[in-house]
Amino acid sequence: MTSLPDTVKDWLGRPVIVMDHVLTVEQGLWANFCVAIEDANPLYWDYRLAREETETVIAPPMMLPSWAIDHDWRPEREGPAPRTLELHFMVKDALGYKNGLVTEVELELHEPLRAGDSVKAEQILRSVGDERETKLGTGRNWEIDVVYRKPDGTLAGVQSLTFLGYGRVGA
Amino acid sequence: MNRTPKPHIGMKLPDLFLPVTRKLVSMGAAASRDWQPQHHDPDWAREAGLPDIIMNNYTQAGLISRFVTDWSGPAGRIGRLRFAMRRPLCPVGNLTIRGAVVDLSAESDTLIWTEIDAEILVGDNIVTTATIRVALPGPGGDSSAWHCSGSRWNP
Repeated sequence: MTSLPDTVKDWLGRPVIVMDHVLTVEQGLWANFCVAIEDANPLYWDYRLAREETETVIAPPMMLPSWAIDHDWRPEREGPAPRTLELHFMVKDALGYKNGLVTEVELELHEPLRAGDSVKAEQILRSVGDERETKLGTGRNWEIDVVYRKPDGTLAGVQSLTFLGYGRVGA
Repeated sequence: MNRTPKPHIGMKLPDLFLPVTRKLVSMGAAASRDWQPQHHDPDWAREAGLPDIIMNNYTQAGLISRFVTDWSGPAGRIGRLRFAMRRPLCPVGNLTIRGAVVDLSAESDTLIWTEIDAEILVGDNIVTTATIRVALPGPGGDSSAWHCSGSRWNP
């Protein structure tokens, strides 16, 4: 078994990165996603039809993780935008891999999000696998959970991701 | 709107066909604010050992969700989606999503949990496999799965 750096061991099992109210959920943003995938579900578009099911239109549930991803640029920000799933990049860099890919995703969905909502997202490193040979070279997998809650603490969902890191830095 | 299907094990969902274009891959990534270069920069992607830019996981999740709710209508409420991306989904050719009901369980007479196995194919190659758990209204109730909350919602 390849040993883990102490910093990575220290990240296991606890929220390491917390993103709180990065964006306000708004229909204009989720409409862009619906347009990309041509999703006509009236719950995302039609206030009259949505009233019966969800009271008002809702954001596509699969967009939940994206509400913790900030705009790529803001006028008041100095430096680059926080990276998508920062904890993943911290693990990748600490383990010395050039590249990282998502290979498996599980989304458990709870309360839907509506315009005006926001989320607090806690990123938790669940496990790190042994180094092994992969199709893309020497690498290893790790698992990260992200727990999403509304400002009142209501659970919006949990995203579990499996990553593959590969390609040694300097190799 | 009342077009909710009555699911049974083995029931096939209508296939979803879509051309996989650079526009779809990059627009899906942009709409989810995912600016990782493998989703929009072909040179960067090839340098990283990939054949081309690849569709991000948010876009794949959105397409799988669309595949299910195109069938279920708005009464269908997805509680859980699990998917494995087995091969890079690059902008070449056409994509097909196909799937079928593999399990049913009634939580009460008002709610039926329907489990669907699905796969995304490009040509004959399976690039992604998925399992979706979607709640549909049961035969005895006229309440919506969307009205379940808190401890009553167990995805």
